[in-house]
Amino acid sequence: MSVLDVLDRPDVISPGISACVGCSVELTLRTVMKVLGRNSVLAIPPGCMGGVGVVGWDKKSGAEIPVFFPLLTNTASMLSGLRLAYKRQGRDGIHVVAFAGDGASVDAGFQALSGAAERNDRIIYICYDNEGYMNTGYQRSGATPKGAWTSTTPYGKLQIKKDMPRIMADHRIPYVSTCSPAYMKDLVEKVEKAKRNKAGFSYLHVLNPCVGGWGFPPEESIEIARLSVKTRYFPLYEVVNGEYHITVDIPNPLPVSDYVSRLKKFSRTSEVALTEMQELIDQQWQELKALEQVGVNGA
Amino acid sequence: MSHVEVMTGNQAASTAACLARPDVIAAYPITPQSSVVEDISKAIAEGKLDALISEVESEHSAMSVLEGAALGEARTFSATSSQGLAFMYEPYFRASTLRLPIVMAIANREMISPQTLWASAQDSLSVRDAGWIQYYVENNQEILDTILQAFCVAEDKRVLLPINICYDGFYLSHMSERVDVPDQAQVDAFLPQCYKPDHIYLDPDRPMAVDPLTNGDLLMEYRQKHLEAQQRALTVIEEASEVFFNLFGRHWDGCVEAYKIDHNTKGAIITLGSMTGAAREAIDRLQSEGLPIGLIKIRVVRPFPKTELRELLSGIKAVGVVDRNVCFGWNTGIIYQEVLAAISGSPSIVHQPFIAGLGGEDITIEMFETAARQVVTLAQKKNGSRDQETIWLRSVSEEVHK
Amino acid sequence: MPHDYVAPVGVEGIYIINTGKWRIQHPVLAEEKCVKCGKCFMFCPVGAIKRRDDGYHIDLEYCKGCGVCSHECPTKAIQMIGEEGK
Repeated sequence: MSVLDVLDRPDVISPGISACVGCSVELTLRTVMKVLGRNSVLAIPPGCMGGVGVVGWDKKSGAEIPVFFPLLTNTASMLSGLRLAYKRQGRDGIHVVAFAGDGASVDAGFQALSGAAERNDRIIYICYDNEGYMNTGYQRSGATPKGAWTSTTPYGKLQIKKDMPRIMADHRIPYVSTCSPAYMKDLVEKVEKAKRNKAGFSYLHVLNPCVGGWGFPPEESIEIARLSVKTRYFPLYEVVNGEYHITVDIPNPLPVSDYVSRLKKFSRTSEVALTEMQELIDQQWQELKALEQVGVNGA
Repeated sequence: MSHVEVMTGNQAASTAACLARPDVIAAYPITPQSSVVEDISKAIAEGKLDALISEVESEHSAMSVLEGAALGEARTFSATSSQGLAFMYEPYFRASTLRLPIVMAIANREMISPQTLWASAQDSLSVRDAGWIQYYVENNQEILDTILQAFCVAEDKRVLLPINICYDGFYLSHMSERVDVPDQAQVDAFLPQCYKPDHIYLDPDRPMAVDPLTNGDLLMEYRQKHLEAQQRALTVIEEASEVFFNLFGRHWDGCVEAYKIDHNTKGAIITLGSMTGAAREAIDRLQSEGLPIGLIKIRVVRPFPKTELRELLSGIKAVGVVDRNVCFGWNTGIIYQEVLAAISGSPSIVHQPFIAGLGGEDITIEMFETAARQVVTLAQKKNGSRDQETIWLRSVSEEVHK
Repeated sequence: MPHDYVAPVGVEGIYIINTGKWRIQHPVLAEEKCVKCGKCFMFCPVGAIKRRDDGYHIDLEYCKGCGVCSHECPTKAIQMIGEEGK
C-alpha cells in the first residue's frame, strides 16, 4: 500500500479544529490517526492539540474515536492503567495512544513517561515537539534549543535541548524513532511499526515547526521541517530492540545556518553560538553513526 | 464460612481488597502503608488473586494508572500515606471530579515537617475537600469490613465517587488484632462482582470524549451533581452498613456511632479513628463515677453527617472534640471546625477543642478522662463562653497545657 | 437513552469549528499543470485536499488558507488567491 493510500483513510479527527494556520502538529495528528485507525484510544494532554479542541467542547467530542485529556503530568501512567484494563478484558487489539507535546513529555510528564517505559507497558507514545510551551504563549521547555527566543528566554535559551529520543532509547524499550512531517513516508512507516509492536512501549518523537513560536510564514511549515532534517539538526532514525538505524541518511548536510536563518526565534543568535550549534549537530551525528554500529546494547 | 485470623491493619486492608475482586491495583510503597501493596503483590504472584498490578514509579502514577484503568471499566484499589497522598493530589482531585469509584486505603501519617513517620489524620483531612468520600475507622476488623462496604458505596449509581478508608498509621497499620475474615462466597453475595460504568468510559466500540473543555455554567452543573451525590452517599453508606450487618452480623453504625449517650447525657466527647478505643475506656470509667458524659465516633467525614450529629447532640450541653490533626489559621483541630459548622444552629451547646496525639503521640485513657472532665465542667457551668481556647493534651508533663 | 452527564463527557457528536471563515487567501489548482504527485494532499494540515480517481480536488470548507499546498507543489500548479473583501 502506498503512502498516499494510507493517507486516504478516514480522518477521525474533527475537520475543524482551531490549530494555527499552517500548523504541522495538526497535520501530524491527522496522519498518525489515519495509520492507527478507529480501534484506538487517544490521550491528548494539555497543550496545543488539547487547546484547539481535539478533546471536544462541552458535550461534544473532537474526534470520532475515544479521546481524553490526561493531566499534563500523567499521560503515560493513565495509558498504563487503560492498557491493564484492556488486558484484563482480553482486548489486546486496542491501540493505546498518547499524542503529547514536549512540555507534557520531556518536562512535567517525564516521570510518568519514564516509569511507563521502564515497565515496558504497551503504549504508543507520540511526542510532538515544537520546542516550547507554545499553547500557553511560547515559553521555554526542556526541548527548546540553546539560543532560541521564547517568551521566558527573551535573550535566547542558555542550555541545550534535552535529547529525548536518546533518553527513551536508553530505557531499552522495543521501539523508538524520530519523525518529521516533511518525510511522510518515513513517518507513516514508523507509526505502522509502532502499531505492530506488541512487545511493549513505542516512543515516536516528531519535530514540529511552530509558525507563531518559531517565527516563519505558515506556508513554510513543511519546508522548515525538511530543513531541520537536511541540516542534520533533527536526524531521522529509529531504535528497534536496541539497534540504531538512520532511516533518512543525509550524506551532504546543509549548514545549520540555512535552518537557523529562516527562524525569527534565532534572530539574536550570534556567530559564536551558531558555530557551537553546528559543532553540537556534528557531534550528535557522529554519535548516532557510532550507535548505528554498536547499538544501545553495545553488541 | 468466615474464619478468624490475627492480622495487622494493613493485612486487613489487603485481605479486604483481595476479597473485593479488583481488576487493577497500583500503589507505591510508603511507610506505614507499604505492606498493603506488598501483600497484594504477593497474592497476585502466588495466583491467589486474579488481578493485574502496576508497579508504578510514584503515587502520582499510582492514582493515574487507576484512573486510566477505571476509565477502561476496571475495579481498582490503592493505598497510600501522607507525603504519598500529597504527591498524588493532582490526580487525586480528578478521580472524584471524573466520578471514578476508586477505593483507596490511607494509613494515616503526620505531614512533615518535622520529619516524621507516625500517626495523624493531617494527611487525609487536608484533602477532605477534594470530592472523595472519607471513612475513618477504629480497628482492624472495621478496616476490613469498611473496605468491602466502600466498593459497594463507590459503585452505587446514586454515588459514583472514589472512597478513602483512613486508619491510623502504626496504631492500626502495624498492630495485630483478631479479625473475622469472610469467605469469597459471602463477599460475592454482598458486592457485585464487576464494575460496569455507563457514565464515563473509554471504549473504541462506544466512542466518547472524556473531559472536553467545558464552559463555566456546565461545570457548575457537574459540581452540583457531585455535591448531590455526596449528600446521597449519606443514605447509601447507611444502607451498605445495614446490608453488611444483615449478612455478616457486624454493625458499624453508618456515618456516626453514639456510645453511651442517652437522655441524661450532658457532655459528649467526639473522636475519629483508633483513639476511640481509649475514649471508650475513659467514658466507662467516668460514667461509673456518675458523670453524665458520652462518646460520639465520627466514622464518615465526607460527606459530613451533620443531621445525624445534630440529632445526637440535641440534648447535650457541652461537646469536646479531640483532634489528632491541626486546622491552621483556626488554632483548633479540623474535626472541631466541622462539628462547629454542623451545630452552628444550636447556640446552647458549648464546645471545647482539644489537640492530641500528633506525630503518633499516644492519646491515653487519662487524657480522655481529663478532656471529658473539662467537658462535664463546661456542661454544668451557667452562662459560660461558647468559645473555648484549644487545650493541648501532651504526654511529656502529663498535665494539661493551655 | 439520553446520557445522564454525571461525569464530564462528550457524546453529542463532533465539535467542529468553521475554520474556513479564517481564510484570507485560498488555493486554486490549475489542472493542466498538475502531475498528480499528491504532495498537496499529503501535506495539507487540515485535510482540505481530497483524493479522487481523476486526481486531487480542493475542498475549501475547512481550508485555513495556509498556503502549504501551493508552497509544496513541485510544478507550481496551485496559486493562492486573496479572498474578496479581506
